[in-house]
Amino acid sequence: MNDALKIGILYSTTGPYGAMGVDARDGAMLAVEDNAKKSGRVIEPVFYDPHASLQGYLDGAQQMLRADCRHIVGTITSAARKEVIPLVEKHDGLLWYMCPYEGFEANESVIYIGGCPNQHLIPAFEYLIPRFGARPYLTGANYVWGWEMNRLARELIANAGGEILGERYLPLEETSVERIITEIAERRPSFVLNNLIGPSSYAFLEAMKALGEKDPFFRPENCPVVSCDLMECELDLIARGAATGQLCAASYFDTLDTAENRDFKSRAALRYGRERRISSVFASAYVAVDLCVAAILAAGTDEPQAVRREVQGRKWPSLLGALEIDGRTNHAALPFHLGRINDDNGFDVIASRPALAADPYLTQRGTAMPAKLRVVS
Amino acid sequence: MSRTPNFTGWKAVILHREDSNTERLERQFGLLGIRATRRWEPLSTWDDADLVLVDADQGWDDLLPQTDGLSGRPLVALLGSEAPGRIAWAMEKGASAIIAKPVATSAIFPALVMAVSIHEERLAVADKLRHLEERVRMRPLVHAAVEKLRAAQCMTEEEAYAALRDCAMQRRLTMEQIAAILLGGAETLPEVG
Repeated sequence: MNDALKIGILYSTTGPYGAMGVDARDGAMLAVEDNAKKSGRVIEPVFYDPHASLQGYLDGAQQMLRADCRHIVGTITSAARKEVIPLVEKHDGLLWYMCPYEGFEANESVIYIGGCPNQHLIPAFEYLIPRFGARPYLTGANYVWGWEMNRLARELIANAGGEILGERYLPLEETSVERIITEIAERRPSFVLNNLIGPSSYAFLEAMKALGEKDPFFRPENCPVVSCDLMECELDLIARGAATGQLCAASYFDTLDTAENRDFKSRAALRYGRERRISSVFASAYVAVDLCVAAILAAGTDEPQAVRREVQGRKWPSLLGALEIDGRTNHAALPFHLGRINDDNGFDVIASRPALAADPYLTQRGTAMPAKLRVVS
Repeated sequence: MSRTPNFTGWKAVILHREDSNTERLERQFGLLGIRATRRWEPLSTWDDADLVLVDADQGWDDLLPQTDGLSGRPLVALLGSEAPGRIAWAMEKGASAIIAKPVATSAIFPALVMAVSIHEERLAVADKLRHLEERVRMRPLVHAAVEKLRAAQCMTEEEAYAALRDCAMQRRLTMEQIAAILLGGAETLPEVG
Protein backbone atom coordinates (compact mmCIF):
# COMPACT_ATOMS: atom_id res chain seq x y z
CA MET A 1 0.00 0.00 0.00
CA ASN A 2 2.35 2.68 -1.19
CA ASP A 3 0.05 4.71 -3.41
CA ALA A 4 -1.40 8.00 -2.26
CA LEU A 5 -3.99 7.62 0.45
CA LYS A 6 -7.14 9.35 -0.76
CA ILE A 7 -9.46 11.11 1.68
CA GLY A 8 -12.65 12.73 0.37
CA ILE A 9 -13.56 16.07 1.91
CA LEU A 10 -17.17 17.08 1.23
CA TYR A 11 -18.19 20.46 2.64
CA SER A 12 -20.27 23.31 1.35
CA THR A 13 -18.55 26.65 1.85
CA THR A 14 -21.59 28.67 0.76
CA GLY A 15 -25.23 28.84 1.90
CA PRO A 16 -26.70 29.29 5.39
CA TYR A 17 -23.99 27.20 7.07
CA GLY A 18 -21.13 28.24 4.78
CA ALA A 19 -19.03 29.59 7.65
CA MET A 20 -19.08 26.14 9.24
CA GLY A 21 -18.20 24.51 5.91
CA VAL A 22 -15.12 26.71 5.53
CA ASP A 23 -13.94 25.83 9.03
CA ALA A 24 -14.62 22.12 8.54
CA ARG A 25 -12.70 22.12 5.26
CA ASP A 26 -9.75 23.94 6.80
CA GLY A 27 -9.67 21.63 9.81
CA ALA A 28 -9.73 18.58 7.54
CA MET A 29 -6.96 20.01 5.34
CA LEU A 30 -4.76 20.76 8.35
CA ALA A 31 -5.17 17.15 9.49
CA VAL A 32 -4.21 15.90 6.03
CA GLU A 33 -1.02 18.00 6.12
CA ASP A 34 -0.14 17.06 9.72
CA ASN A 35 -0.65 13.37 9.05
CA ALA A 36 1.36 13.43 5.83
CA LYS A 37 4.26 15.00 7.74
CA LYS A 38 3.91 12.60 10.66
CA SER A 39 3.55 9.39 8.64
CA GLY A 40 5.67 10.16 5.59
CA ARG A 41 2.78 8.92 3.44
CA VAL A 42 1.38 10.82 0.51
CA ILE A 43 -2.17 11.76 1.48
CA GLU A 44 -4.32 13.14 -1.27
CA PRO A 45 -7.32 15.18 -0.17
CA VAL A 46 -10.14 15.03 -2.72
CA PHE A 47 -12.16 18.16 -2.04
CA TYR A 48 -15.63 18.84 -3.44
CA ASP A 49 -17.88 21.82 -2.69
CA PRO A 50 -21.56 20.94 -3.22
CA HIS A 51 -22.60 24.61 -2.77
CA ALA A 52 -25.36 23.68 -0.32
CA SER A 53 -27.28 21.64 -2.91
CA LEU A 54 -28.35 18.07 -2.10
CA GLN A 55 -27.69 17.04 -5.69
CA GLY A 56 -24.22 18.55 -5.27
CA TYR A 57 -23.55 16.27 -2.31
CA LEU A 58 -24.59 13.26 -4.40
CA ASP A 59 -22.40 14.31 -7.32
CA GLY A 60 -19.44 14.94 -5.04
CA ALA A 61 -19.76 11.63 -3.20
CA GLN A 62 -20.19 9.76 -6.47
CA GLN A 63 -17.06 11.32 -7.97
CA MET A 64 -15.03 10.43 -4.89
CA LEU A 65 -16.25 6.83 -4.68
CA ARG A 66 -15.68 6.26 -8.40
CA ALA A 67 -12.15 7.61 -8.05
CA ASP A 68 -11.40 4.89 -5.46
CA CYS A 69 -11.68 7.31 -2.60
CA ARG A 70 -13.52 5.14 -0.09
CA HIS A 71 -13.37 7.41 2.93
CA ILE A 72 -15.42 10.59 2.86
CA VAL A 73 -15.20 13.11 5.67
CA GLY A 74 -18.09 15.47 5.42
CA THR A 75 -21.66 16.70 5.31
CA ILE A 76 -22.99 19.10 7.93
CA THR A 77 -26.79 18.85 7.80
CA SER A 78 -28.71 15.63 8.39
CA ALA A 79 -30.38 16.04 5.01
CA ALA A 80 -27.01 15.93 3.25
CA ARG A 81 -25.80 13.01 5.38
CA LYS A 82 -28.96 10.99 4.63
CA GLU A 83 -28.51 11.74 0.94
CA VAL A 84 -24.93 10.49 0.85
CA ILE A 85 -25.31 7.35 3.02
CA PRO A 86 -26.99 5.08 0.42
CA LEU A 87 -24.19 5.81 -2.05
CA VAL A 88 -21.51 5.12 0.54
CA GLU A 89 -23.24 1.84 1.41
CA LYS A 90 -23.56 0.83 -2.21
CA HIS A 91 -19.92 1.50 -3.02
CA ASP A 92 -18.71 -0.01 0.26
CA GLY A 93 -17.21 3.20 1.56
CA LEU A 94 -17.15 4.84 4.98
CA LEU A 95 -18.56 8.26 5.84
CA TRP A 96 -16.93 10.19 8.69
CA TYR A 97 -19.57 12.55 10.08
CA MET A 98 -18.48 15.11 12.65
CA CYS A 99 -21.30 17.55 13.44
CA PRO A 100 -23.65 17.59 16.40
CA TYR A 101 -26.97 16.16 15.20
CA GLU A 102 -30.40 15.11 16.50
CA GLY A 103 -29.61 11.39 16.96
CA PHE A 104 -31.74 8.37 15.94
CA GLU A 105 -29.30 6.88 13.49
CA ALA A 106 -26.52 4.28 13.70
CA ASN A 107 -25.39 3.14 10.29
CA GLU A 108 -22.59 0.61 9.81
CA SER A 109 -21.15 2.73 7.01
CA VAL A 110 -20.81 5.87 9.10
CA ILE A 111 -18.43 6.80 11.92
CA TYR A 112 -20.07 9.49 14.05
CA ILE A 113 -17.77 11.99 15.70
CA GLY A 114 -20.42 14.71 16.24
CA GLY A 115 -22.56 14.44 19.34
CA CYS A 116 -26.15 13.28 19.66
CA PRO A 117 -28.63 14.76 22.18
CA ASN A 118 -27.48 12.80 25.24
CA GLN A 119 -24.10 14.43 24.66
CA HIS A 120 -25.30 18.01 24.15
CA LEU A 121 -28.97 18.81 24.80
CA ILE A 122 -29.57 16.61 27.85
CA PRO A 123 -26.47 17.71 29.81
CA ALA A 124 -27.24 21.33 28.87
CA PHE A 125 -30.74 20.96 30.35
CA GLU A 126 -29.26 19.29 33.42
CA TYR A 127 -27.25 22.45 33.92
CA LEU A 128 -30.01 24.93 33.07
CA ILE A 129 -33.13 23.61 34.80
CA PRO A 130 -31.84 23.75 38.41
CA ARG A 131 -30.40 27.23 37.86
CA PHE A 132 -33.04 28.94 35.74
CA GLY A 133 -36.21 26.85 36.00
CA ALA A 134 -38.19 24.47 33.81
CA ARG A 135 -40.32 26.91 31.82
CA PRO A 136 -38.36 27.46 28.59
CA TYR A 137 -39.34 28.89 25.22
CA LEU A 138 -38.29 26.81 22.21
CA THR A 139 -37.32 28.08 18.82
CA GLY A 140 -35.75 26.38 15.83
CA ALA A 141 -35.07 26.15 12.12
CA ASN A 142 -37.97 24.60 10.25
CA TYR A 143 -36.43 21.22 9.51
CA VAL A 144 -35.55 18.01 11.29
CA TRP A 145 -32.81 19.46 13.55
CA GLY A 146 -35.14 22.09 15.02
CA TRP A 147 -38.17 19.80 15.20
CA GLU A 148 -36.46 16.86 16.85
CA MET A 149 -34.37 18.88 19.32
CA ASN A 150 -37.51 20.73 20.43
CA ARG A 151 -39.56 17.52 20.62
CA LEU A 152 -36.95 16.11 22.95
CA ALA A 153 -36.86 19.35 24.94
CA ARG A 154 -40.63 19.06 25.42
CA GLU A 155 -40.25 15.53 26.69
CA LEU A 156 -37.46 16.49 29.11
CA ILE A 157 -39.45 19.46 30.41
CA ALA A 158 -42.67 17.40 30.81
CA ASN A 159 -40.77 14.78 32.77
CA ALA A 160 -39.22 17.49 34.95
CA GLY A 161 -42.73 18.79 35.75
CA GLY A 162 -42.12 22.03 33.86
CA GLU A 163 -43.94 23.79 31.07
CA ILE A 164 -43.08 24.93 27.55
CA LEU A 165 -44.09 28.58 27.19
CA GLY A 166 -43.92 28.65 23.40
CA GLU A 167 -42.45 27.00 20.33
CA ARG A 168 -41.83 28.69 17.00
CA TYR A 169 -39.92 27.90 13.81
CA LEU A 170 -38.35 29.99 11.06
CA PRO A 171 -37.45 28.89 7.52
CA LEU A 172 -33.70 28.70 6.84
CA GLU A 173 -32.23 32.17 6.26
CA GLU A 174 -35.40 33.93 7.52
CA THR A 175 -34.41 36.85 9.74
CA SER A 176 -37.83 38.26 10.75
CA VAL A 177 -37.72 37.32 14.40
CA GLU A 178 -40.14 40.00 15.72
CA ARG A 179 -43.03 37.66 16.40
CA ILE A 180 -40.85 35.27 18.41
CA ILE A 181 -39.37 38.19 20.39
CA THR A 182 -42.86 39.59 21.13
CA GLU A 183 -43.97 36.21 22.44
CA ILE A 184 -40.87 35.78 24.59
CA ALA A 185 -41.35 39.31 26.01
CA GLU A 186 -44.96 38.48 26.95
CA ARG A 187 -44.43 35.00 28.33
CA ARG A 188 -41.19 35.56 30.28
CA PRO A 189 -39.62 32.06 30.05
CA SER A 190 -36.89 30.67 32.35
CA PHE A 191 -34.55 30.35 29.37
CA VAL A 192 -34.69 30.04 25.58
CA LEU A 193 -33.55 26.99 23.61
CA ASN A 194 -32.26 28.26 20.27
CA ASN A 195 -32.21 25.66 17.48
CA LEU A 196 -32.20 28.27 14.73
CA ILE A 197 -29.20 28.12 12.45
CA GLY A 198 -27.14 30.63 10.52
CA PRO A 199 -28.56 34.10 9.75
CA SER A 200 -31.86 33.40 11.60
CA SER A 201 -29.93 32.57 14.73
CA TYR A 202 -27.73 35.68 14.44
CA ALA A 203 -30.78 37.95 13.96
CA PHE A 204 -32.48 36.31 16.92
CA LEU A 205 -29.50 36.80 19.23
CA GLU A 206 -29.28 40.47 18.21
CA ALA A 207 -32.99 40.96 18.91
CA MET A 208 -32.67 39.26 22.32
CA LYS A 209 -29.86 41.68 23.15
CA ALA A 210 -32.18 44.61 22.34
CA LEU A 211 -34.95 43.06 24.46
CA GLY A 212 -32.54 42.68 27.39
CA GLU A 213 -31.61 46.35 27.13
CA LYS A 214 -35.28 47.33 27.45
CA ASP A 215 -36.06 44.88 30.24
CA PRO A 216 -33.30 43.42 32.48
CA PHE A 217 -35.39 40.24 32.92
CA PHE A 218 -34.17 39.19 29.47
CA ARG A 219 -30.46 39.72 30.06
CA PRO A 220 -28.39 36.56 29.58
CA GLU A 221 -27.68 36.24 33.30
CA ASN A 222 -31.44 36.05 33.99
CA CYS A 223 -32.92 34.41 30.90
CA PRO A 224 -30.11 32.90 28.82
CA VAL A 225 -30.40 31.77 25.22
CA VAL A 226 -28.76 28.35 24.84
CA SER A 227 -27.74 26.74 21.54
CA CYS A 228 -26.19 23.38 20.72
CA ASP A 229 -24.60 24.34 17.42
CA LEU A 230 -23.32 27.89 17.63
CA MET A 231 -19.58 28.22 17.16
CA GLU A 232 -16.58 30.54 17.10
CA CYS A 233 -16.56 30.99 13.32
CA GLU A 234 -20.10 32.37 13.51
CA LEU A 235 -19.61 34.87 16.31
CA ASP A 236 -17.93 37.37 13.98
CA LEU A 237 -21.10 37.32 11.86
CA ILE A 238 -23.19 38.58 14.79
CA ALA A 239 -23.26 42.29 15.70
CA ARG A 240 -20.33 42.93 18.04
CA GLY A 241 -21.26 42.12 21.64
CA ALA A 242 -24.85 41.13 20.80
CA ALA A 243 -24.42 37.53 21.87
CA THR A 244 -22.20 38.18 24.89
CA GLY A 245 -23.32 36.15 27.90
CA GLN A 246 -25.38 33.63 25.92
CA LEU A 247 -24.64 29.90 26.22
CA CYS A 248 -23.68 27.07 23.90
CA ALA A 249 -23.02 23.35 24.38
CA ALA A 250 -20.17 21.69 22.44
CA SER A 251 -17.51 19.04 22.79
CA TYR A 252 -14.77 21.56 21.90
CA PHE A 253 -14.10 25.25 22.41
CA ASP A 254 -11.10 27.25 21.23
CA THR A 255 -10.46 28.36 24.81
CA LEU A 256 -10.13 24.83 26.29
CA ASP A 257 -7.06 24.81 28.45
CA THR A 258 -5.57 21.38 27.75
CA ALA A 259 -2.11 20.38 26.60
CA GLU A 260 -3.58 18.82 23.42
CA ASN A 261 -5.42 22.03 22.58
CA ARG A 262 -2.46 24.35 23.23
CA ASP A 263 -0.32 22.21 20.96
CA PHE A 264 -3.04 22.02 18.31
CA LYS A 265 -3.67 25.76 18.33
CA SER A 266 -0.03 26.57 17.81
CA ARG A 267 0.01 24.34 14.72
CA ALA A 268 -3.25 25.84 13.43
CA ALA A 269 -1.83 29.33 14.00
CA LEU A 270 1.21 28.53 11.86
CA ARG A 271 -1.05 27.44 9.04
CA TYR A 272 -3.98 29.89 9.29
CA GLY A 273 -2.65 32.80 11.39
CA ARG A 274 -2.88 33.72 15.07
CA GLU A 275 -6.23 35.49 14.68
CA ARG A 276 -8.03 32.41 13.48
CA ARG A 277 -10.22 31.05 16.22
CA ILE A 278 -10.76 27.30 16.17
CA SER A 279 -14.42 26.25 16.13
CA SER A 280 -15.88 22.89 17.10
CA VAL A 281 -16.40 21.90 13.43
CA PHE A 282 -12.79 22.83 12.62
CA ALA A 283 -11.65 20.70 15.54
CA SER A 284 -13.95 17.77 14.85
CA ALA A 285 -13.18 17.69 11.10
CA TYR A 286 -9.52 17.58 12.14
CA VAL A 287 -10.24 14.74 14.57
CA ALA A 288 -12.21 12.84 11.89
CA VAL A 289 -9.41 12.96 9.32
CA ASP A 290 -6.76 12.29 11.96
CA LEU A 291 -8.63 9.20 13.19
CA CYS A 292 -9.41 8.02 9.66
CA VAL A 293 -5.75 8.17 8.59
CA ALA A 294 -4.51 6.60 11.83
CA ALA A 295 -6.97 3.72 11.48
CA ILE A 296 -6.10 3.13 7.80
CA LEU A 297 -2.40 3.03 8.66
CA ALA A 298 -3.02 0.72 11.62
CA ALA A 299 -5.18 -1.58 9.48
CA GLY A 300 -2.62 -1.56 6.68
CA THR A 301 -5.43 -1.11 4.15
CA ASP A 302 -8.16 1.41 3.40
CA GLU A 303 -10.72 -1.40 3.09
CA PRO A 304 -13.65 0.09 5.08
CA GLN A 305 -14.55 -3.03 7.08
CA ALA A 306 -10.97 -3.45 8.27
CA VAL A 307 -10.73 0.26 9.09
CA ARG A 308 -13.98 0.14 11.05
CA ARG A 309 -12.78 -2.86 13.04
CA GLU A 310 -9.52 -1.06 13.76
CA VAL A 311 -11.27 2.09 14.91
CA GLN A 312 -13.49 0.32 17.42
CA GLY A 313 -12.52 -1.02 20.76
CA ARG A 314 -9.52 1.12 21.63
CA LYS A 315 -8.76 4.62 22.76
CA TRP A 316 -7.20 6.99 20.22
CA PRO A 317 -5.23 10.00 21.36
CA SER A 318 -7.00 13.04 19.92
CA LEU A 319 -7.60 16.73 20.27
CA LEU A 320 -10.75 15.86 22.26
CA GLY A 321 -8.80 13.62 24.64
CA ALA A 322 -8.70 9.82 24.44
CA LEU A 323 -11.34 9.06 21.82
CA GLU A 324 -13.34 5.83 21.87
CA ILE A 325 -15.75 4.68 19.15
CA ASP A 326 -18.50 2.36 20.39
CA GLY A 327 -18.54 -0.89 18.40
CA ARG A 328 -22.34 -1.13 18.47
CA THR A 329 -23.33 2.41 17.54
CA ASN A 330 -20.20 3.61 15.64
CA HIS A 331 -20.48 6.80 17.70
CA ALA A 332 -17.66 8.54 19.59
CA ALA A 333 -17.83 9.13 23.33
CA LEU A 334 -17.50 12.90 23.66
CA PRO A 335 -16.82 15.38 26.44
CA PHE A 336 -19.50 17.97 27.21
CA HIS A 337 -18.64 21.63 27.66
CA LEU A 338 -20.95 24.56 28.19
CA GLY A 339 -19.49 27.82 26.93
CA ARG A 340 -20.54 31.39 27.66
CA ILE A 341 -19.85 33.90 24.90
CA ASN A 342 -17.38 36.57 26.05
CA ASP A 343 -16.69 40.11 24.80
CA ASP A 344 -13.80 38.79 22.78
CA ASN A 345 -16.12 36.67 20.55
CA GLY A 346 -14.95 33.45 22.15
CA PHE A 347 -16.45 31.10 24.71
CA ASP A 348 -15.60 30.91 28.42
CA VAL A 349 -16.09 27.31 29.52
CA ILE A 350 -18.42 27.41 32.56
CA ALA A 351 -19.23 23.69 32.97
CA SER A 352 -17.67 20.45 31.70
CA ARG A 353 -18.23 16.73 31.92
CA PRO A 354 -15.82 13.97 30.92
CA ALA A 355 -16.52 11.93 27.78
CA LEU A 356 -20.12 10.65 27.64
CA ALA A 357 -20.88 7.52 25.60
CA ALA A 358 -23.31 8.26 22.79
CA ASP A 359 -26.87 6.96 23.14
CA PRO A 360 -28.24 7.76 19.68
CA TYR A 361 -31.63 6.05 20.27
CA LEU A 362 -31.88 7.26 23.88
CA THR A 363 -32.24 3.73 25.21
CA GLN A 364 -30.62 4.87 28.47
CA ARG A 365 -28.92 1.56 28.87
CA GLY A 366 -26.23 3.24 30.92
CA THR A 367 -28.76 3.70 33.70
CA ALA A 368 -30.01 0.92 35.96
CA MET A 369 -33.69 1.39 35.19
CA PRO A 370 -34.49 2.71 31.75
CA ALA A 371 -37.62 4.66 32.38
CA LYS A 372 -38.84 8.04 31.31
CA LEU A 373 -36.15 10.31 29.92
CA ARG A 374 -35.20 12.44 32.82
CA VAL A 375 -32.97 15.34 33.57
CA VAL A 376 -30.95 14.33 36.62
CA SER A 377 -30.06 17.32 38.75
CA MET B 1 -46.11 15.49 22.34
CA SER B 2 -44.69 12.21 21.11
CA ARG B 3 -42.73 10.19 23.67
CA THR B 4 -39.35 8.81 22.62
CA PRO B 5 -40.00 5.11 21.93
CA ASN B 6 -37.81 2.86 24.05
CA PHE B 7 -37.45 -0.85 23.29
CA THR B 8 -34.87 -1.60 25.96
CA GLY B 9 -35.50 -5.07 27.43
CA TRP B 10 -37.89 -6.17 24.66
CA LYS B 11 -37.69 -9.65 23.13
CA ALA B 12 -38.00 -10.03 19.39
CA VAL B 13 -38.31 -13.20 17.31
CA ILE B 14 -37.07 -13.06 13.72
CA LEU B 15 -38.62 -15.80 11.58
CA HIS B 16 -36.19 -15.83 8.67
CA ARG B 17 -33.29 -17.84 7.33
CA GLU B 18 -29.92 -16.48 8.40
CA ASP B 19 -28.51 -14.01 5.88
CA SER B 20 -27.11 -10.48 5.67
CA ASN B 21 -30.60 -9.08 6.34
CA THR B 22 -30.96 -10.89 9.65
CA GLU B 23 -27.39 -9.96 10.57
CA ARG B 24 -28.23 -6.32 10.05
CA LEU B 25 -31.47 -6.67 12.03
CA GLU B 26 -29.70 -8.37 14.92
CA ARG B 27 -27.00 -5.70 15.01
CA GLN B 28 -29.54 -2.88 15.10
CA PHE B 29 -31.68 -4.68 17.70
CA GLY B 30 -28.57 -5.03 19.85
CA LEU B 31 -28.01 -1.31 19.96
CA LEU B 32 -31.71 -0.65 20.59
CA GLY B 33 -31.55 -2.90 23.66
CA ILE B 34 -33.75 -5.61 22.10
CA ARG B 35 -32.87 -9.27 22.68
CA ALA B 36 -33.44 -10.97 19.33
CA THR B 37 -33.62 -14.66 18.48
CA ARG B 38 -33.71 -15.89 14.92
CA ARG B 39 -35.35 -19.13 13.81
CA TRP B 40 -36.74 -20.68 10.65
CA GLU B 41 -39.28 -23.07 12.08
CA PRO B 42 -42.83 -22.57 13.34
CA LEU B 43 -43.32 -20.47 16.44
CA SER B 44 -45.81 -22.28 18.67
CA THR B 45 -46.73 -19.44 21.00
CA TRP B 46 -46.59 -15.66 21.14
CA ASP B 47 -45.61 -15.82 24.80
CA ASP B 48 -41.87 -15.49 24.38
CA ALA B 49 -41.93 -12.46 22.11
CA ASP B 50 -42.86 -8.81 22.46
CA LEU B 51 -42.38 -8.31 18.76
CA VAL B 52 -42.22 -10.67 15.76
CA LEU B 53 -40.60 -10.19 12.34
CA VAL B 54 -41.49 -12.64 9.62
CA ASP B 55 -40.13 -13.43 6.17
CA ALA B 56 -43.16 -12.56 4.06
CA ASP B 57 -41.44 -13.78 0.87
CA GLN B 58 -41.28 -17.38 2.03
CA GLY B 59 -43.46 -17.55 5.13
CA TRP B 60 -46.31 -20.06 5.36
CA ASP B 61 -49.42 -20.10 7.55
CA ASP B 62 -48.16 -22.42 10.28
CA LEU B 63 -44.97 -20.41 10.77
CA LEU B 64 -46.89 -18.10 13.10
CA PRO B 65 -49.00 -19.13 16.10
CA GLN B 66 -52.80 -18.99 15.80
CA THR B 67 -54.31 -15.65 16.72
CA ASP B 68 -57.74 -15.11 18.22
CA GLY B 69 -58.06 -11.40 17.78
CA LEU B 70 -56.16 -9.95 20.69
CA SER B 71 -53.51 -12.55 21.44
CA GLY B 72 -51.00 -11.60 18.73
CA ARG B 73 -47.96 -9.39 18.86
CA PRO B 74 -46.78 -6.44 16.76
CA LEU B 75 -45.76 -8.08 13.50
CA VAL B 76 -43.33 -6.70 10.92
CA ALA B 77 -43.17 -8.22 7.43
CA LEU B 78 -39.72 -8.60 5.84
CA LEU B 79 -40.55 -8.31 2.18
CA GLY B 80 -38.52 -8.30 -1.00
CA SER B 81 -41.27 -9.45 -3.33
CA GLU B 82 -43.87 -7.13 -4.80
CA ALA B 83 -46.25 -10.01 -5.55
CA PRO B 84 -49.77 -9.09 -4.39
CA GLY B 85 -50.16 -12.59 -2.92
CA ARG B 86 -47.23 -12.09 -0.57
CA ILE B 87 -48.42 -8.63 0.48
CA ALA B 88 -51.87 -10.10 1.15
CA TRP B 89 -50.32 -12.92 3.21
CA ALA B 90 -48.45 -10.39 5.36
CA MET B 91 -51.61 -8.37 5.96
CA GLU B 92 -53.68 -11.46 6.68
CA LYS B 93 -51.17 -12.43 9.35
CA GLY B 94 -51.62 -9.01 10.90
CA ALA B 95 -48.42 -7.28 9.86
CA SER B 96 -48.61 -3.57 10.64
CA ALA B 97 -45.30 -2.50 9.08
CA ILE B 98 -43.00 -3.63 6.31
CA ILE B 99 -39.20 -3.60 6.15
CA ALA B 100 -38.16 -3.95 2.52
CA LYS B 101 -35.32 -6.32 1.65
CA PRO B 102 -32.43 -5.80 1.31
CA VAL B 103 -32.81 -4.29 4.77
CA ALA B 104 -31.61 -0.70 5.11
CA THR B 105 -30.42 0.12 8.62
CA SER B 106 -32.46 3.30 8.64
CA ALA B 107 -35.70 1.37 7.95
CA ILE B 108 -35.63 -0.70 11.13
CA PHE B 109 -36.40 1.70 13.99
CA PRO B 110 -39.23 3.49 12.13
CA ALA B 111 -40.86 0.14 11.26
CA LEU B 112 -40.75 -1.04 14.86
CA VAL B 113 -42.23 2.20 16.16
CA MET B 114 -45.01 2.06 13.59
CA ALA B 115 -45.78 -1.64 14.06
CA VAL B 116 -46.05 -1.31 17.84
CA SER B 117 -48.17 1.81 17.65
CA ILE B 118 -50.60 0.34 15.10
CA HIS B 119 -50.80 -2.89 17.08
CA GLU B 120 -51.73 -0.95 20.23
CA GLU B 121 -54.28 1.05 18.29
CA ARG B 122 -55.84 -2.17 16.95
CA LEU B 123 -56.09 -3.60 20.46
CA ALA B 124 -57.77 -0.43 21.68
CA VAL B 125 -60.24 -0.42 18.77
CA ALA B 126 -61.05 -4.12 19.28
CA ASP B 127 -61.67 -3.47 22.95
CA LYS B 128 -63.96 -0.56 22.23
CA LEU B 129 -65.84 -2.56 19.62
CA ARG B 130 -66.45 -5.36 22.09
CA HIS B 131 -67.78 -2.89 24.61
CA LEU B 132 -70.09 -1.25 22.07
CA GLU B 133 -71.40 -4.60 20.80
CA GLU B 134 -72.29 -5.50 24.35
CA ARG B 135 -74.22 -2.27 24.74
CA VAL B 136 -76.08 -2.73 21.45
CA ARG B 137 -77.03 -6.23 22.51
CA MET B 138 -78.49 -4.86 25.77
CA ARG B 139 -80.27 -1.91 24.20
CA PRO B 140 -83.80 -3.55 24.16
CA LEU B 141 -83.53 -3.74 27.95
CA VAL B 142 -83.29 0.05 28.17
CA HIS B 143 -86.41 0.42 26.11
CA ALA B 144 -88.27 -2.08 28.30
CA ALA B 145 -87.10 -0.36 31.49
CA VAL B 146 -88.25 3.05 30.25
CA GLU B 147 -91.66 1.56 29.44
CA LYS B 148 -91.91 -0.04 32.89
CA LEU B 149 -91.05 3.23 34.66
CA ARG B 150 -93.41 5.25 32.50
CA ALA B 151 -96.33 3.00 33.33
CA ALA B 152 -95.55 2.69 37.05
CA GLN B 153 -94.72 6.35 37.75
CA CYS B 154 -97.04 8.04 35.25
CA MET B 155 -94.03 9.71 33.61
CA THR B 156 -93.57 10.79 30.05
CA GLU B 157 -91.07 8.78 28.06
CA GLU B 158 -88.49 11.60 28.35
CA GLU B 159 -88.93 11.81 32.11
CA ALA B 160 -88.55 8.07 32.51
CA TYR B 161 -85.41 8.04 30.37
CA ALA B 162 -83.91 10.98 32.30
CA ALA B 163 -84.64 9.26 35.65
CA LEU B 164 -82.97 6.08 34.47
CA ARG B 165 -79.95 8.02 33.18
CA ASP B 166 -79.55 9.96 36.45
CA CYS B 167 -79.64 6.73 38.37
CA ALA B 168 -77.03 5.15 36.10
CA MET B 169 -74.78 8.17 36.56
CA GLN B 170 -75.11 8.16 40.34
CA ARG B 171 -74.23 4.50 40.54
CA ARG B 172 -71.57 4.75 37.84
CA LEU B 173 -73.20 2.01 35.77
CA THR B 174 -74.18 1.93 32.12
CA MET B 175 -77.82 2.51 31.13
CA GLU B 176 -77.99 -1.12 30.07
CA GLN B 177 -76.81 -2.38 33.43
CA ILE B 178 -79.23 -0.20 35.41
CA ALA B 179 -82.06 -1.24 33.10
CA ALA B 180 -81.25 -4.91 33.72
CA ILE B 181 -81.33 -4.35 37.49
CA LEU B 182 -84.68 -2.56 37.29
CA LEU B 183 -86.30 -5.20 35.09
CA GLY B 184 -84.87 -8.07 37.11
CA GLY B 185 -86.61 -6.60 40.15
CA ALA B 186 -83.84 -7.89 42.36
CA GLU B 187 -83.50 -4.43 43.79
CA THR B 188 -85.76 -1.43 43.98
CA LEU B 189 -84.34 1.77 42.70
CA PRO B 190 -85.31 4.37 45.28
CA GLU B 191 -83.81 7.12 43.15
CA VAL B 192 -86.41 6.53 40.45
CA GLY B 193 -89.25 5.77 42.83
